[in-house]
Parts: sequence; structure tokens; C-alpha cells
Amino acid sequence: MSNFAAPPPQRRTDVDLATRYDIERFLYLEAELLDDQKFEDWLELFDDDIHYWLPTRTTRTVRERDLEIAGPDGAAFIDDDKAFLAGRVRRLASGRSWSEEPPSRTRRLITNIRPIRLESGEFEVRVNFHVLRSRAERHHDTFFGERTDLLRRIPQEPGFHIARRRIVLDTTTLLAPSISIFL
Amino acid sequence: MFDVSELVQPDQGLINPSIYTDPEIYQAELERVFARSWLFLAHDTQLPKPGSFVQTYMAEDPVLVVRQRDGSVKAFLNQCRHRGMRICRADEGVARAFTCTYHGWGYNLAGELVNVPMQDRAYHDDIDKAKWGPTRVPRLHNHKGFIFGTWDESAPSFEDYLGDMVWYFDALADRYDAGLTLVPGATKWVIDCNWKFAAEQFASDMYHVPSSHASALVALIEDPAILAEFQAQSAAAPGRQYAGNGHGSGFALRPDLVPTQAGPDFDAWVVANREQIYRRIGEQRALAVNGHNTVFPNFSWLTINNTMRVWHPRGPGQIEVWSWTYLPKDADERAKQAVRTSTIRTFSAAGVFETDDGENWTEIQQVLRGHQARKTTFNARMGLGHERHGTDGMPGGVTDDMYTEMAARGMYRRWADLMSGLSWPEITDRDEARQQGEQEAHRA
Repeated sequence: MSNFAAPPPQRRTDVDLATRYDIERFLYLEAELLDDQKFEDWLELFDDDIHYWLPTRTTRTVRERDLEIAGPDGAAFIDDDKAFLAGRVRRLASGRSWSEEPPSRTRRLITNIRPIRLESGEFEVRVNFHVLRSRAERHHDTFFGERTDLLRRIPQEPGFHIARRRIVLDTTTLLAPSISIFL
Repeated sequence: MFDVSELVQPDQGLINPSIYTDPEIYQAELERVFARSWLFLAHDTQLPKPGSFVQTYMAEDPVLVVRQRDGSVKAFLNQCRHRGMRICRADEGVARAFTCTYHGWGYNLAGELVNVPMQDRAYHDDIDKAKWGPTRVPRLHNHKGFIFGTWDESAPSFEDYLGDMVWYFDALADRYDAGLTLVPGATKWVIDCNWKFAAEQFASDMYHVPSSHASALVALIEDPAILAEFQAQSAAAPGRQYAGNGHGSGFALRPDLVPTQAGPDFDAWVVANREQIYRRIGEQRALAVNGHNTVFPNFSWLTINNTMRVWHPRGPGQIEVWSWTYLPKDADERAKQAVRTSTIRTFSAAGVFETDDGENWTEIQQVLRGHQARKTTFNARMGLGHERHGTDGMPGGVTDDMYTEMAARGMYRRWADLMSGLSWPEITDRDEARQQGEQEAHRA
């Protein structure tokens, strides 16, 4: 079962400016590692129990709007644990991953960062994202939506681990031939 | 106009690539191929209760598929007869009725026009509502939970349309006592390529796997020694390919049902249900038929990977892929989750196999923008003249290796027959004559 299935109710409080700064710095570092294609370093940002999830969504009427995003037992574009994320990174490094060989150029815009401190001491961070993928001669894809991360403080640099990630695209039908990059 | 006999020569294994690019040919395909064939609409489990609906497409035509109060299923064009607006603009859900949002014409679950606003004042009560419902899909067939429809009243029955392909289809559809269920939700994405590249690959092409998917196993298998052993075993495995009525199936012959790609949680369930599977479809079929499949024209699945999909055409150079993960309905939760995640990781739009297929098809379509590229004949001759039919008691045209393009040639043969405007009886007669010829050649 998904880690998103039943989030325990927790007291939620705002974060101080110094913590907000640390979180923003961490998210920009992550984006930089991906755009610079340092995937092995990027993998280090995740906790061992990471659940990395991109559910599908459908167009629904207002009355059934709460069914729009697929649940933990539903369809997804990505539903990974740490071992499979590592497999994806291994694949990208193989030189034979043809949807990323030659590699895409990507540009990540991370914005509207909304961090909240949970009672557990972890941080829930919602961000808006816009990722541009340029590929080969003139191929161009754009991905946009919202990400919700669960961050845990760690004593060493860069200060956090990502323990959960849920990505929700604003599109229902993906207007791209693949998601061969990380979002 | 185009001359179909110059576009494809299936008996010679020759293809003129304009069939993937020409807008005129594409428009003719909508009329002569898609409007005359049986197309997959929905699986029973997508329509769990009265009023459940999904909107799908028959080629470019939006179609509502609706569970009726008596449990039956009806399908009709998602188009109001007044000015052509969609009657329903949600992908799926549960409805009591459908109302066109333009002028408010209302339809019941059967697609009958039941309410015309201001009928007395605006139409002077002079409208025969029975005549102004949306166009019905006149023929539907439910094959073991898989609902197909055709616009063509003269098309063969679904059973005759499938022919011997039913034996291969049932390796999926008839495998378990409790039947199949789908993971809720379709995964939908767009690839800039002609629909025939995708349909043909799933009908006929095991050959692309070692090069196209060279990196996928790297993602799945961490230990290089195990990876090398797996690749060597896969390369050495014997296989078969079936072709008939435009359909195709190809597979390696396996020694056991497990290991599956979904891993130990699903393997345990399969082993516990091995006798059930053998009883239903036979040991030979259960072990053998595990590979790629296309029911002509655009419904495909991978038996061992638990993925099925429709390649909806969107112009000569674009498709929408709609894919689903299917599961044994009565498997335990652990087994179901194992299959679900395994299929997402391998054959979704982010799947480590799937992404590389889109790369190939998109590139071909780009190359075919060129005038010279578009008139350069393609080679579909793999295995031509080397077919060995009638192996292992498998029904239909079966050849003794999976590395052949027999099913691709069969697909283009059916395509050419339909595109030539032949009637269904003429097409059926031709196919029967060809099959007899093949059997006689085999006996000789």
C-alpha cells in the first residue's frame, strides 16, 4: 500500500524564515543536480524508504471532482521505491537508454514554495513546478503541476532527505511521448 | 487518389512509407479500416454499476460506453444531433442522464433523446425525439469482459473477425476462474507517430527488443552477472509467431510460469493457482503465449507484462496511447500491488521499456518528412519464404520462430484488403483461400 493512503492527522505550524531559507536552498540544489544530470548525487537526496509517486488524473464533473487524481491502488505514471529509482539512474548511465541518449536538456522552475512543519518534526512542502525538456534537434516537451514532498532534517549537508514525493500534473493526457526525465 | 497495390505488397514484404504520412490515405483509413473493423471500447470492470460510463474513441470519433439499468452495455457517438456538441465532457463517472451543455438537449443512459428545452414554443411540439438521438454503435460484443464495437453492419461476427486469434487472446482473457480486473484509470499520452508503427510492433516485432530495450533490463537487474545470464537465456529461447486475419501474436516458449516480471509476491499467487490456469487454457498455451499481441487494427497487449492498450489515431502523424494494467480479479492485495507497480515501471509513459519505443517511432515519423525518405521502400521481408507452418498444434498460421515479420505482412494484407474497398465477404474469401494455400504448401 502507498504511504499516501492514510496520512496521520498532525498539528501543522508555519516555519521560521531561517528554515524556509534552508528548504528553498535544498529544493534549488535538487533542481540543479537534475538539470546538470548529476543523477547519482541526486539519488543521495532520498531516504531509503522513499515513495516517489506520480498518479494519473482524469477529467471529472464537479460532483466527482474528488475522484480526479488516481488513488494509491490506481493508475500512475511513476510509483517507485529507492531500489527502482536507483535502477532508473543506472539505466541513464548505461549509454543505451535511447529516450535519454543523447540526453535531453532540462530546465526546472520551482516556485510557490509552501513549507509546513509537522508535529513529527518533518516538513511537508508543496511547490509548483514547470519543467522544460528539449530533446534532439527540435523536440520540446513541457511538464507542469504540483509536487508535495515530505522532508526530514539530517545533520549533514545538504540538510534534508526527501522521504515522500507526490507529483500531480495538471494535464490528464500527457502531451509528450514519454517521461524519461525526473520531475 | 492512391493505388493500394503500389502502397504495400505484403507477399513481397514491401512497404511504401507514404502509408504512414499521407493525409489522404489517413482519411481513407478512418472510413475503410476503422469504421469497418471491430474496435476495443471498454472492459466490464470499467463500468461497475448502472449509469457507469466511460468516454472512449473509435478512431477519432468520441463514443460514450454506458452501463444500463438492466446490466447491459450500450454505446453511442458522444455528439448531440442539434449542433454536434459533446453530450458528455467527463472522461468517466456515474451519470443518471446526459445533457448537452450548448442548448440543453437531454439524453437517457441508452442515448435516447428525452428532453428538448422549450419543445412547445421553440419546436411547436413538432420534433420526433426518437429520430434525433445520437448515432448508436450498432453492434457490440462482449468477449469475456472485453467489450468491442463496430459501426459496420456487414462486418463478420466478432468470433469470425478474430478467427484463430481467439486462442491467443484467451491466453489473456480466459486465464483465471474469476476473470480479470483493470487497475482503475487509463494512462494516456501522445506520440507523434503513425498508428501502424505501434500496432505492427505489437503484432509482429520481437526483433526490436534486444536493441531498443537494451537498457531496460539494466534498470530491472542490478547484478551484471545475473543480467548477462538472463540476456543469454532470452536470446537462446525458442519462440513462435501467429498471423491471421490481420492479427498477430509472438512469444518465447518458457519452461515455467514463474518467475514473472512482477516478482515474488505475484509469483507466489501464480504458483498457488497454477492448476487453475492449466485447467482453463492448457499447460502448453499457458507457458507459451506470453508475448506481444495485436487484434487488428489497434488493440494490443503484452501477456506477461499485464499491459493492454489502444493506439487511437490522431492524424497521420500522431497517436494517443491509452493503456491499462490488468490483474487477476481474485488475486490477493500483495500480488495485485506487485503487478501494478511492475507494469507502471516497465510499460507506462515513464516505463523503462516503453519510453524507448516512443523514441523510435517519433524519429521515423520525423525522417518521413523528407521527399526521398517517403518514397524509399521499407523492408518487411524477415522470414519471408522460411515460414514453417503448423507447429505444435497451435491454431492458425504459426511459424517456428518469433523473429519473423509474418504477422506484420498479415497486418498489411488485411489493411490493403480493407483500403481497396473490398466487401467483407470478398475479404473473408481471400483469407480462406490464402490459409488453404498455406496449409497445402505446408503439406507439400
